[in-house]
Amino acid sequence: MRVEDLDVNEMIGDVGKIICEHDRKKGVLIHAFQKIQQDYGYLPGEVLMTLSKKLSLPLAEIYSVASFYKQFHFSPRGKKVVRVCMGTACHVRGAKNVLNALEDEFGIKQGETTDDLAMTLETVGCVGCCGLAPVATINEDVVGDIGKKKLELLVKAIKEEEK
Amino acid sequence: MIELTINGKKVKTEKGKTILQAALSNGIKIPNLCYDKRVVPFGGCRVCVVEIEGQRKLEASCATLAGDGMVVLTDTPKVRRARQAVLEFMLVHHPLDCPVCDKAGECDLQELVYEYGKPDGRFVREKKHSPPDTKGPLVELTANRCILCGKCVRLCSEYQGRGALGFIGRGFSTVVQPAFGEAIECDYCGQCIDICPTGALLNKSFKYKARPWSLEEKDTICPFCSCGCTLTLGIREGKILRSRGKEDLGVSGGNLCGRGRFGFDYIYSENRLKTPFIRKEANLEPSTWDEALAYISDRLKYILSNANGSESVGAIGSHRCTNEDNFMLRKFMQNVVGSDNMDSSSALGFSRVRKALNMVFGLKDHTIDMKSPIGKDVILIIESDLSVTHPVFGLNILKAKREGAKLIVADSKETKLTKHSTQWSRIKQGTGVAFLNGIMKVIVDKGLFNREVASGITGFSELEKSLEAYSPEKVTEITGISSEELIGAAETLAKAKSRILSFTLSPSENTKCIDTILAASNLVILLGEGPESLQIPAEYANTYGAYSMGIRPDAGKSEGKNLFDMLYVSGSINALYIMGEDPVSVLPYKSRIIKTLKSLELLIVQDIALTETAKLAHVILPASSWAEKDGTFTNAEGVTQRVYKLIDSTGEALPDWQILRNLSSAMGTDMAAGTLEGLSNEIKKTIRSEKATSNKRTFHPVLYSRGEEPDNEYPLSLVTRDILQHSGTMSTRSKTLNLVSSEAIIEMNERDAKRFGISDNSHVKVISRRGAVYLRAAVSDEVPDGAVYVPAHFPHSGISTLTSPSIHGGIAMETVRVEAA
Ligand code: SF4
Ligand code: SF4
Ligand code: SF4
Ligand code: FES
Ligand code: FES
Repeated sequence: MRVEDLDVNEMIGDVGKIICEHDRKKGVLIHAFQKIQQDYGYLPGEVLMTLSKKLSLPLAEIYSVASFYKQFHFSPRGKKVVRVCMGTACHVRGAKNVLNALEDEFGIKQGETTDDLAMTLETVGCVGCCGLAPVATINEDVVGDIGKKKLELLVKAIKEEEK
Repeated sequence: MIELTINGKKVKTEKGKTILQAALSNGIKIPNLCYDKRVVPFGGCRVCVVEIEGQRKLEASCATLAGDGMVVLTDTPKVRRARQAVLEFMLVHHPLDCPVCDKAGECDLQELVYEYGKPDGRFVREKKHSPPDTKGPLVELTANRCILCGKCVRLCSEYQGRGALGFIGRGFSTVVQPAFGEAIECDYCGQCIDICPTGALLNKSFKYKARPWSLEEKDTICPFCSCGCTLTLGIREGKILRSRGKEDLGVSGGNLCGRGRFGFDYIYSENRLKTPFIRKEANLEPSTWDEALAYISDRLKYILSNANGSESVGAIGSHRCTNEDNFMLRKFMQNVVGSDNMDSSSALGFSRVRKALNMVFGLKDHTIDMKSPIGKDVILIIESDLSVTHPVFGLNILKAKREGAKLIVADSKETKLTKHSTQWSRIKQGTGVAFLNGIMKVIVDKGLFNREVASGITGFSELEKSLEAYSPEKVTEITGISSEELIGAAETLAKAKSRILSFTLSPSENTKCIDTILAASNLVILLGEGPESLQIPAEYANTYGAYSMGIRPDAGKSEGKNLFDMLYVSGSINALYIMGEDPVSVLPYKSRIIKTLKSLELLIVQDIALTETAKLAHVILPASSWAEKDGTFTNAEGVTQRVYKLIDSTGEALPDWQILRNLSSAMGTDMAAGTLEGLSNEIKKTIRSEKATSNKRTFHPVLYSRGEEPDNEYPLSLVTRDILQHSGTMSTRSKTLNLVSSEAIIEMNERDAKRFGISDNSHVKVISRRGAVYLRAAVSDEVPDGAVYVPAHFPHSGISTLTSPSIHGGIAMETVRVEAA
């Protein structure tokens, strides 16, 4: 989506009829963020700037809304997003080791992305399959029971080029 | 009106007010940290909780409407316990670094904790460690002192219309910051500093300068624009260290712009004059007062002894000087010299407003009402950014818009007002008259006015005839806006129940002229309204006052020589006395002015600093600055306010009026008013304020004409516009304001930049028919194609080299070409 083409009234739908202009614009932000993130993989500063101009909402207000949600990112993300579960069950079964191992292997800290934009490493609190603890996810796939062996597989899976 | 009982006392309040407002307006204090009457209630801090009879829960009084018959208790043990707990939570992460915090001593948080707090909190948590964010030039942000009351965020976005700050992140890690945590880039009004209840937002220029309790605070009037805000100056050991606004104080209710808050240090600039100077050969040499006055006296007497002697002496007064100073100058001219040759820079501004309104309405006065925008249906702004030139008046325009007014802005440049407008008609620079005529044409053609009344007014048929040339199609051609836009604006304006038209006219802006005032007046009369619908403020702190004191060529019995005669026509006069003005820097066509001044037999310049004009003088007299003398300023509303002597004069400088008194004695005329009091009494007797009511109405049809046409050699129009950080030229001597803006930057559109091979932030040579200067360029989408925009504040940038005045009052927009330098 080109931010310039964004149509506030269309996006906000019928609710728009009962709220004021400022709220309409503010209300449309999340949709706009989602679309921008779909296209760019994150929310680039210049695009938010254009959005700020387009909606005549101050940039700080836009950034404030975006920064509230974990789902929005402000720097480019890796092709593969690896999330290591740090929930209670996984914690007990050694999630920390998994995280440390991945951090060492790829030379980045949690929350960071490798320079070649291949991988972003994150943590998450319980992905809902505690029976498989410790757990990590690669994009949508879940890898459970991560012992020494599995860890190697995990690293391999991450390094594997996407088909 | 409703009635409720607070702490056993019956109080009345309007419907729709909160309990807190009801209490405060009846002198009952309820502590609060996130409430401010300028912004929408937030209910975030919870220290304002109160007990309401019949309700189990405590309620936040700032967010609960007062009800009829309500019984409220604000200071019970239960309430106190709750407040104590709330404060305890606030301190869990707070660093409590009061010993190194500039706010300590006047910090709301500190005071409340002192009153309600417990010595030990029950919580042991890691204190937040965040070094102060000192990236911004004037405002410093120490996030760990912030209690997230959100007042700064809301004030900046709602009230200032800027929105530079936001709550970033969520939960514990939330901080108040500009977007992306970058340096604050904003209006630098500093309003957030005043409103912050903690030491999170601080005035960087005051940092570690003094503890608040060691400051002596005194109120005086701002020396910059004609809003006339009250500044509360903090003084220690004879030096002004800071300026702030105090809630509810003065015409602005405590609101200030950045100039009033940060700009006072212009009086501490290095080239303040400390002694008189006399020119010996090519050099200016320091002298004593006696020598200087004797020198002037001799030379002036000699000039006066010639035939037509007094006719050949002129004076220029000043909006920077007090009423008393200006009145003394007039007395000096009339009683000692015997001449009416007096004028000021407002010849290119306020004088024209007065002249036009006198022609149209027969008025002998023109004031604005800063609250006039409030409650109006439509506000129409013509090619002006009042948020820049008159920031506090601008705040009221924004407020009116928030409360439902339609704001139509006809302007070529994107401004704060266009951003907040309901309709931004992006007319080409300098085409305001065509736009106004076009609006009238639509109104006349569609019959959106009372023809019976209007046709009875002198000049109506001429007006109607003159409008023939302004059909929507024609206006589209001239202004570049579509016919629909024009018709829409005309209809909105005509159908409104109430309206104001507002714009500025000043020597530093060149897209408007006397015709703009006449066209706007025609429109107002056509709609059946009077001069109160025209809100055209005087330019500077005492522009209005200087004019009223008679610093104008028509104040005496005969018509004296005016500014143009005195500064642009060599040989018109032989001697010129300039008080508090720097024509060489301020007024257009520098080279011509220099030529005229150099041809004088005697040039006396009396000012606070060594200005470009002073450098040409035969004698320079050092004057006290605005904070070094007593007197009065009259703002654009016509309100006369006291300014005080707060600090000692610099060197041997004296108040302007005293210098003139002393000079008069040296010349053998004793001024009756030897004291300030005597002078004030005399002013009261002489200057009668002629209050503005008049039923006279005359149409004065005007045709649109523009300044120089762009051509191949000079393809761009040069628009001079004020910027927010400065007011006139004196503010450019403020080191603090210069941290934000210290040179004239020429703004141009990306297309023009490409066309002329200029990149952002590079240096360019700007050439007009009158001269050339080197400036830094900024590529900006706020400005349109075909024109470049520069501010004329900075003497060293030399914009007046490029420009020229319009002697007959028409638009004086120059054309230029730009080259990469
Ligand atoms: S100085 Fe003014 S514009 Fe800047 S952040 Fe503070 S309130 Fe907003
Ligand atoms: S910086 Fe000050 S005004 Fe702003 S939220 Fe924090 S405490 Fe409140
Ligand atoms: S410059 Fe004008 S608006 Fe700003 S503080 Fe001074 S008087 Fe007020
Ligand atoms: S704790 Fe890791 S999946 Fe639930
Ligand atoms: S002042 Fe009422 S909740 Fe803050």
